[in-house]
Amino acid sequence: MEIYNLLSSDISAIFITFKLALITCFFLAIIGTPLAYYLAFVSKKSKSFLEAIVTLPLVLPPTVIGFYLIIFFSPETSLGKFFIMLTGEQLIFSFYGLVLASIIYSLPFWVQPLQSSFEKIGKDTIRTAYTLGASPLDTFKNIIIPLSKRGFLTSFIISFAHTMGEFGIVLMVGGGIHGKTKVIAISIYDHVEQLSFGKAHFLAAGMLILSFIILLSLFYSNRTRVVGIK
Amino acid sequence: MTDLYARIEGKVGNILFNFEHSFNSKGITVLYGPNGAGKSTIISAIAGFSKNLKTTITYKNVDFESSNKVPAYKRPFGTMFQNPILFEHLKIKDNLEFAEKRKKFSINSKKTIPKKELIDHLDLVPLLERYPEDLSGGEKLRVVLARTILTKPDYLFLDEPMSEIDIRYKAKLLIFLKMINRKYEIPILYITHSLEEISQIADELILINEGKKIDYGPLPEILNTKSFQSLIGKFESSSVLEGTVCASNDVLNITTLDINGQKLIVPGNPASEGNNVRVRIRSRDILVSPIKLTSQVVENELEGLILKVEKENNTAFTEVVIGLVDSKTNELAQKIRARVTTYNYEKMNLNKNSRVFVYISSVSIDRQAYQSN
Repeated sequence: MEIYNLLSSDISAIFITFKLALITCFFLAIIGTPLAYYLAFVSKKSKSFLEAIVTLPLVLPPTVIGFYLIIFFSPETSLGKFFIMLTGEQLIFSFYGLVLASIIYSLPFWVQPLQSSFEKIGKDTIRTAYTLGASPLDTFKNIIIPLSKRGFLTSFIISFAHTMGEFGIVLMVGGGIHGKTKVIAISIYDHVEQLSFGKAHFLAAGMLILSFIILLSLFYSNRTRVVGIK
Repeated sequence: MTDLYARIEGKVGNILFNFEHSFNSKGITVLYGPNGAGKSTIISAIAGFSKNLKTTITYKNVDFESSNKVPAYKRPFGTMFQNPILFEHLKIKDNLEFAEKRKKFSINSKKTIPKKELIDHLDLVPLLERYPEDLSGGEKLRVVLARTILTKPDYLFLDEPMSEIDIRYKAKLLIFLKMINRKYEIPILYITHSLEEISQIADELILINEGKKIDYGPLPEILNTKSFQSLIGKFESSSVLEGTVCASNDVLNITTLDINGQKLIVPGNPASEGNNVRVRIRSRDILVSPIKLTSQVVENELEGLILKVEKENNTAFTEVVIGLVDSKTNELAQKIRARVTTYNYEKMNLNKNSRVFVYISSVSIDRQAYQSN
């Protein structure tokens, strides 16, 4: 009976982890893609400022981000109040708090590969499409997206993997509540703390293999022809 | 008649623009000027990509740059940039279709160029199923040209479209462009550095330097201006004569042109009888003489009158502009520019209004330099 309970706790952590990574990537696609486009093609001074902000999560210690997010998500802030009004729940220690945090710390992982992919396509290609009568939206749909398939794939894989592997922020903002905000990384930490190395091995090896497969497929697809072309 | 008017002011890089022009809505206009004169910027600005410039672009009385600015993709122009780009993820036929489908243009429903004719003329059939990355520079260029024309533009802007085309194909493409221009009545604004291309296709020339228009007019007139001569340098100083093919000799492989009643023999058979041909003759290849030379040694002899004398300080040379006589009306017709040493000019006792004979060796006429009309 006890074994069954522990297993179910791990299964729920695995489920939450994947759900978190997928939902985060979904929102990153919506928020990060236009941002990457803007950063790739707009040459204004404000660009450097925005670029620095987007890249910040890459260099900051996770505890610093976690600390500010706790303050930002607390029920006293307008965001916290708004969330309570909307759901009756606190944003902090909730799954959606976790999603919001993941979007913020994974943003550079979505934006950067896509931005460089857009930059490689270049302004001249976009201009050419315009001269042929394609509107900006038409150009984005039929030229930019197909030409940056690899960029999208890279952004997705890296963001997914990074969201899946984050520990510090997730622990601080989510609290590691079983069945709600406890992800694989936290489960492993708990197992190790309780000296249940066998269970830790099971999850850790799973993450290791999965991460390796993800990276392998990414590098393999980069070696071969651009995905979706030919 | 003019439909398109452009006024461009402002600074891009080191060039201070102050350009204004009402474009001819017929024929082929060449924008000519040294590197960095701002030619490409002018075309970009008209096409709708002005970079921090103050522009007024009106087309058919519509102000494209007014408060509700007409964006580039809604302007009825076909623009081909200097480094033509194909969409790498689309096959050549799909690249063409991309333009064809959108077909924003044809404000005037002029005669439409059938796609098949375009593909045949530009030899695109073997390329249709291929991807852009498998094409050579010249092949890409032809596809881009076809794609631009497929949008049915009211105006065609071509920025050095022949840069990657080899010399043999160039002649063919120039004939094609002229055909597009004449048969389908699409005015063309063309940027080039090549005098050959200018003498073959330009109807009018706009000379640009440092963002300003320095001269404008029909080709033969502009070729004889000081501003043009100073832009191209003395070595390339030349004139273009237009004539009608009146006889050709297949055995000797020569063609005789009628230039306002005077005869000029050119090598090769550029066109059949009755067609108009343009010939570019370099000023330094012309021999000027006040007395008639013996016909035994003379290949081409044209008669004319010195209209203008330009002595060059600090060099050994003098250039003279000679008006050629129309043998039927006895009036002056086309002009030709000759370069002589000041020493010889003075020795021959020439002056403005002197009657002279112009001698041209047919060998000096470049095969690439003439083109049937």
